Amino acid sequence: MKTALTQAIQLILSGNEQLAGIINVTLQMSLASSLMALLFGVPFGAFLAMASFRGKKILIVLNRTLTGLPPVVCGLLCYMLFCGVGPLRMLSLLYTVKGMIIAQIILITPIIAANVETFLAGLTGEIRETAKGLRLGVMKTFFLTMNECKYQIVSTYLFGFSRAIAEVGAVSMVGGAIAYKTNVMTTAIMNYTNMGNFTLGVALGIILLGMSLILNAGVYFIQARVGR
Amino acid sequence: MKICAFTKTYEGRCVLELPDMELECGKIYAVIGANGSGKSTMARILAGTIRPDQKCMVTEAGAEIGYMPQKSFPFQMSVIKNLLVACGDTNENREKAAHYIKELELEGLANEKAHRLSGGETARMAIARVMMENCRMLILDEPTAAMDIKSTLTAEALIKEYRDRTGACVVLVTHSLAQALRISDNTLFLCEGKLCEFGKSEDVIRRPQKEETRRFIEFYGV
Repeated sequence: MKTALTQAIQLILSGNEQLAGIINVTLQMSLASSLMALLFGVPFGAFLAMASFRGKKILIVLNRTLTGLPPVVCGLLCYMLFCGVGPLRMLSLLYTVKGMIIAQIILITPIIAANVETFLAGLTGEIRETAKGLRLGVMKTFFLTMNECKYQIVSTYLFGFSRAIAEVGAVSMVGGAIAYKTNVMTTAIMNYTNMGNFTLGVALGIILLGMSLILNAGVYFIQARVGR
Repeated sequence: MKICAFTKTYEGRCVLELPDMELECGKIYAVIGANGSGKSTMARILAGTIRPDQKCMVTEAGAEIGYMPQKSFPFQMSVIKNLLVACGDTNENREKAAHYIKELELEGLANEKAHRLSGGETARMAIARVMMENCRMLILDEPTAAMDIKSTLTAEALIKEYRDRTGACVVLVTHSLAQALRISDNTLFLCEGKLCEFGKSEDVIRRPQKEETRRFIEFYGV
C-alpha cells in the first residue's frame, strides 16, 4: 500500500498523459452536466417554491423522490434509450461523453431543484407578501427572490458538481469507460483496480478526494458566510 | 375608498366578517382588538395578499395600495437600495430616501446590508420603504411593534406627514390604544372577527358604546 501511494504521488507530479486525459474527460463531463443541471434545476426549484397551482404538492414529492434515483437505474434508463434498438438510437449518444452528461443531468437536476425549493419555501411567503405590499411585479419579485438565494445557488452548484465528479453507476453504463474517450476518474479507479494497477487507481483517488475536499470547503465557507 | 363586505374562513371557522365600509382619503384609521380578532387578516385582505371567501378584491379595482406586513422582509442589499427597490433609483427618490433615513436615524446604516439590521432598525427601514411611493391607501400592520419609544414617535410623525402629503387613507393595525389616540382620526374595534365598534378614535376609546369595547379598553388601559 505504501509503495502504491508513493508511486501514485510520483505519477501525479510527473504529469502523466493518461492521467491528464482521464481528469480532462471527468472535468468536461462534470462541469457541463452540473452547469446544465443548475440551469434547469434553479428555475424549476424556484417555480416549485413560489408558484401556486393544483398538483404542486405531488410535483414536489415526485421531485424529492427523484433525488434518490439510483445512479445505475438512471444509467439503465439512458442505456435503453440510446442503445441500438432504443427510441433515441439516431442520436448516437451511447458510449459518448454527451450521453454521460445527459445521464448526469437527469441525476443532478432534481437534487438542485429540491435544494432550491426547500430553501425558498421558508422565505417565499415573507418575500411575496413584502413585494406585494411594495407593488412589485412578478419578474421583479422573482429576481429579488433569486438574489436572496444566490449564495445558496452557488453552494448547491458545488454540491451538484461534487456529486457529478464522484458518480460511477450511470456514467459507466452510458459511457462504457472506454480508454481515452469516456473513461472518467471513478470508472478508471474501478477498472485499474480490477486489473491490479493500483498506482493509477490510488493517484486518481487522491485527486478525487482532493477535489471533493476543496468543493466541500467551498460549500462550508459559503454557508458560513451567509449564516442564514 | 369603498370596501366591499367580506368574510374569511379557515378550516371551516369564520375568522373575519366585515360589512361594507367607506374609508375617507386623508384620514388615519386605527384597527384595534385582541390577539386573534382578525386585525392582520383584515390588513392582508385589504392589501390583496390573501383572498376572502368571496375570491375577489374587496377594494376598488386599480387602487394603489401600499402595505407593510407585520414581518417585513429585508432584501439582501443595502438599506438605501431597499428603499429604492419599488420606486426606482432617481435623484428625486434618492432625496426622499435620504430624508427618511435621516428622520429615522438610519444614516450610519444606509450602506449596510439590510438583512444584518436589528429588529428595530429593520422596522424603521420597512416603514420608510413602504412610504417611498404615493399610494391611495397605505396599510401598516403593527409598524412600530419592534421600535423604541423615540423611533415610534418619529414613525408616527412620518405617517401623519405621509397622510398630509399624499391624501392617502392610512389603515394602521396597532396593539397600542395610546398610539391609536395619538395619531388616528377614526378607530375600528374588532372582536372575534367582527366589527364591534367604528367611529372617531376619541369616542371609541374614551367613550365606548359597546360592552365588548368597554371591557377591552378597561383591560388594556390607555
